[in-house]
Amino acid sequence: MKKTKAVLAIMMASAMVAGLAGCGSTDTTTTPSSTTGAVEAGSGDAAGDATPIAGGLDMNVMLETPVESLDPQQATDGTSFEVIANYTDGLMQMDADGAAVPAIAESYELSEDGLTYTFHLREDANWSNGTPVTAADFVFAWQRAVDPAVASEYSYMLSDIGQIKNAAEIIAGEKDKSELGVTAVDEKTLKVELNVPVSYFLSLMYFPTFYPVNEEFFNSCGDTFATSPETVLSNGAFVLDAYEPAATSFHLTKNAGYYDADRIQLGGLNYQVVQDSQQALMSYQTGALDTTLVNGEQVDQVKDDPEFQAIGAGYLWYVSPNMDAVPELANLNIRLAMTFAIDREAITNDVLKDGSAATFTAVPPQFAAGPDGSDFSADQTKFSDVCAYDTAKAVEYWQTGLTELGISELTLDMVVDADDAPQKVAQVLKEQWETTLPGLTVNLTVEPKKQRVQDMQDGNFQLGLTRWGPDYADPMTYLGMWVTDNSNNYGLWSNEEYDAIIEECTTGDLCTDAEGRWTRLYDAEKIVMDEAVIFPLYTQCNAEMMSSKVTGVEFHPVALNRVYKNAVKSE
Amino acid sequence: MKKYIVKRVITSVFTLLAILLVLFILMQLMPGSPFNDEKLNADQRMALYTKYGLDKPIVVQFYHYVVNMLKGDMGVSYNISKNTPISQLIQTRLPISIRVGGCAVAIGALAGLLLGLVAALKHDTFIDSIATVISVIGVSVPSYVFALGLSYAFGFRLRWFPMLFSQQAVFSSSVLPSISLSMFTMASIARFTRSEMLEVMGSDYMLLAESKGISGSSLIFRHALRNALIPIITVLAPLIVDLMTGSLVVEKIFAIPGVGSLLVTAIQSNDYNVVISLSFIYSAMYIGIMLVVDILYGIIDPRIRLAKKGD
Amino acid sequence: MKKAKTAEASGAFSAYIPVDADFRLRDNAGEIAIDENFAAQSFGKDVLIRFFRKASAVIGLILIIVISLMAVVGPGMNEYTYSGQELSQKNLAPRIKALEKFGIFDGSETMNTTTGSKTVNYYVEKGLDDVEYWFGSDNFGRDIWTRTWSGARVSLIIAVAAAVIDMVIGMSYGLISGYFGGKIDMTMQRILEIVNGIPRLVIVTLLLLVLKPGMLTIIFALMLTEWVGMSRIARAEMLKLKEQEFVLASRTLGAGSFFIIFKEVLPNIIGPIITQVMFSIPTAIFTEAFLSFVGLGIPVPRCSLGSLISEGFNSFTTHPYQIVPPILVMALLMLSFNLAADGLREALDPKLKEM
Repeated sequence: MKKTKAVLAIMMASAMVAGLAGCGSTDTTTTPSSTTGAVEAGSGDAAGDATPIAGGLDMNVMLETPVESLDPQQATDGTSFEVIANYTDGLMQMDADGAAVPAIAESYELSEDGLTYTFHLREDANWSNGTPVTAADFVFAWQRAVDPAVASEYSYMLSDIGQIKNAAEIIAGEKDKSELGVTAVDEKTLKVELNVPVSYFLSLMYFPTFYPVNEEFFNSCGDTFATSPETVLSNGAFVLDAYEPAATSFHLTKNAGYYDADRIQLGGLNYQVVQDSQQALMSYQTGALDTTLVNGEQVDQVKDDPEFQAIGAGYLWYVSPNMDAVPELANLNIRLAMTFAIDREAITNDVLKDGSAATFTAVPPQFAAGPDGSDFSADQTKFSDVCAYDTAKAVEYWQTGLTELGISELTLDMVVDADDAPQKVAQVLKEQWETTLPGLTVNLTVEPKKQRVQDMQDGNFQLGLTRWGPDYADPMTYLGMWVTDNSNNYGLWSNEEYDAIIEECTTGDLCTDAEGRWTRLYDAEKIVMDEAVIFPLYTQCNAEMMSSKVTGVEFHPVALNRVYKNAVKSE
Repeated sequence: MKKYIVKRVITSVFTLLAILLVLFILMQLMPGSPFNDEKLNADQRMALYTKYGLDKPIVVQFYHYVVNMLKGDMGVSYNISKNTPISQLIQTRLPISIRVGGCAVAIGALAGLLLGLVAALKHDTFIDSIATVISVIGVSVPSYVFALGLSYAFGFRLRWFPMLFSQQAVFSSSVLPSISLSMFTMASIARFTRSEMLEVMGSDYMLLAESKGISGSSLIFRHALRNALIPIITVLAPLIVDLMTGSLVVEKIFAIPGVGSLLVTAIQSNDYNVVISLSFIYSAMYIGIMLVVDILYGIIDPRIRLAKKGD
Repeated sequence: MKKAKTAEASGAFSAYIPVDADFRLRDNAGEIAIDENFAAQSFGKDVLIRFFRKASAVIGLILIIVISLMAVVGPGMNEYTYSGQELSQKNLAPRIKALEKFGIFDGSETMNTTTGSKTVNYYVEKGLDDVEYWFGSDNFGRDIWTRTWSGARVSLIIAVAAAVIDMVIGMSYGLISGYFGGKIDMTMQRILEIVNGIPRLVIVTLLLLVLKPGMLTIIFALMLTEWVGMSRIARAEMLKLKEQEFVLASRTLGAGSFFIIFKEVLPNIIGPIITQVMFSIPTAIFTEAFLSFVGLGIPVPRCSLGSLISEGFNSFTTHPYQIVPPILVMALLMLSFNLAADGLREALDPKLKEM
């Protein structure tokens, strides 16, 4: 991922697919109500709703995990991003479809060679302490993001993905952060220089790592920046008015000084962290929460409810076989047998039940659209000759594989996160493999996620159940993982042809040939699938309840999961 | 007595230091690091290790930690709440946990005493059996099952109390968690009170008191209960500490922003400093309570002090 | 109780009826033997009689036996296995054909959905006429009956193993510490204080993270923390007993320290030790359940009572029958161990009994 030289000259910013057309619309999920695009309907309502409620009501939002950090350059998780974006605007913001539309930047110019962006900031954008939002705030924040002393985990958003000039060198400690290719021409003009043209650059601008920080205010907070309402500044739709680090509940109020304040109809947001799904649903039913996540087991209880919906979460869950350390898994027939033995529909429909969609491609559907606007992975049957549920084929490959290896039985170990969903999926996988493939025993090693990731990164595993969420709306966010020596190529698979295609599509000739690049990406994906480098399982969805009183919440599978700028709550 | 207290305090301090070292070693042995994530590669992890000084030898880390702790700095959180000082993280949470735990102890001890007393007075009657059944259920069912049942019945069905903790309604939202937590204490205390009371009431001095014409409530409260209370205090002390750890899951269920739920999350996400600090605080409280109880006990009952000296 | 004792005594004496050898030199050996027999037998019997006199203790014992028996044979009583999944038969309510005609356990369940409650019988809807799950089936279509009893088996093995190992370690530690006294005792007690100072659940949780998950790890982690109480009791008893004459006598006769500790003192304190074991079993079951709840219990697809409860937790409002059997079995197990332990303690300590 990091190695991906993302010189992608095809992606339109608007290609970001919201993915909310409903996970499961492509398959036979048991939750038909999940496909009703409550969000689209919602935003329509909001637009048509001409009477904003005076003061507005607070919306009560359930979170599964507490905020990890409110520092835009330190945060890495969806929860933190969502909250930061509630009170901070970047240069661009997401519209209902996930496209980048102007926010702090009123307008921008792109140079002929595609290497220099000049952003013009709005005059009426102010921080909540009254000081105007200036180009210097962006420069300060972006320099922080690449500063090795800050060690921001998402610094690669500026270097590998954003391709901002000198970013990579600064992160590596070779240059000073002041040499970053971003300059404040004057108070309201920001100039950004890139190494290569990055067509989706604008869509990065709503990613919180790129949000501005006021230097003077930052310095006045010292080490306590972004740990309390007093130590954050707002330039966005809401103001944080009650918060403690890792709080289980906190509150934001509408920002009266927001330049677009007329648009904001909620009086505020009341966040509540609930880790127990049972409590969450019961609280939702008593009206204490307006939206909540629903556990797969609870879906039976709510599936007929019109307030129930499945929201795309973007993650692809897959099994990564360790082809390097386990000689049996280096055998292609064994791998194919295992992928054919998986009944993915049963996993999503009978066990997860949260609307997650069975996936048969290495790049999950509904997040990356091509030059013609079509979904990269819309056709889930395109690799059906190497990835499908077919026990007869599985057994056939299995016997061939065993014969080639000269063995009659095989015991494999699979590392699994100690979380609810992965454990469920792993148990079904074990059962399906063991019943379909004679002589196969799969033992599950359940460990906390940090430990599981370490084991996989160290190559200390045989099979690993893992996931990957897209960082930007291009298939490369997935395909970049399997090039030789990538740190997420857990199986240590290596294929020269594949590496060549990826090279060609990132820094080579195809950078500027959208159509050609798209075709080659298909070729690359085909190699991954033919070789069964991974066994894709499903694309995650979150089953949610959203009160009928609330409309207009926008959901996105990348960057900001929920946006409340158009949300309305009625009595 | 003074000498005894001083000696106990000094040993406690050394015990705590040793505990800290054990915790540190355990942290080192823990597989995975705070920075294992799919999105982070080896270089980034190294950068983070360097930033937090985790690349140094454990002895150096331990030294720095102890020195900093003496200055009141317990380090920062690595991923629960990035870069937040632990002291800031727990300063609001500890009082909440202590309050909920305190409520639970109070409810549990009072209800337990009452239940045990009634059972002992109505020894071998129907009431005794009922009290026994209640106390047995209390020790037989985990607190999180009570939590689930109570919030279903009183939070969801009857809607008497909120199911989630809220700063605006601290009292009403503490009711259900306190009761769920207090069940075990209540049951243990009830059982213990009952047997202690029966023992005391069968003793010779009670016979004497009775023969002197003392009767009714005076007999029970001034003579019997008072003597029965002494051993009950010793049972209560470890229960208080167990309760604090028992709150680990109950806090999670009721979304209480206490230290228990924080500790569970920290352990699962390898947030070293948070785990060490919280475990240390738990240990300190435990040892502190034990110390206080020992000293109190020595004051109440001089025989103990003498016996301890004999050790 | 006093009556019982007298009867015992007179019975024992009546066995010794002097006939014609009344005035002969007394057979010393025989007398000693009888004396010894009398003392040993009557105390053991006495304890048993006292134990069985107490109805609650007997109920506890019977329950322990019944549950242990079910834990052994229960999983084999039907054709299902604890891990065998049948996704097409998931979430079926309990059904026992023999009881169907009484209108209970007929496989129908009332679902409280957010859109109203409805009564459904999936056996009928899916045409599963010949299928029965006595306790219902879970989210994966696994038989809850089988899983409950194999869970009980795992929980019992963990708890009993941990308690027995605790006993061995704690007892030895306490006895040695108490017997030698002085510096050895000091050092050993300080070590114990440190171990005891770290909250139990914290250290168990950390240990489980450090070691690879599994049944042995859980036993090990529980063992490491539970022996403290045991060693305290052993040490206290040792301090009481070591000044007594029989120890002095043994030492005079040239017995070594370890002979005295394990052959002379140990048999005298076995009563309180066993009681403590009985009490530490429920604690171990509880701790294991807690570990399951924070996701560090027995690895899937194996199950313990604790992991079954935490699995059923999420479907409590949807399919309550899934969480009821493990909770019931666990509560009964806890109850029976507590009752039996109480009974045993009272039976062993006549002072308690007489009040």
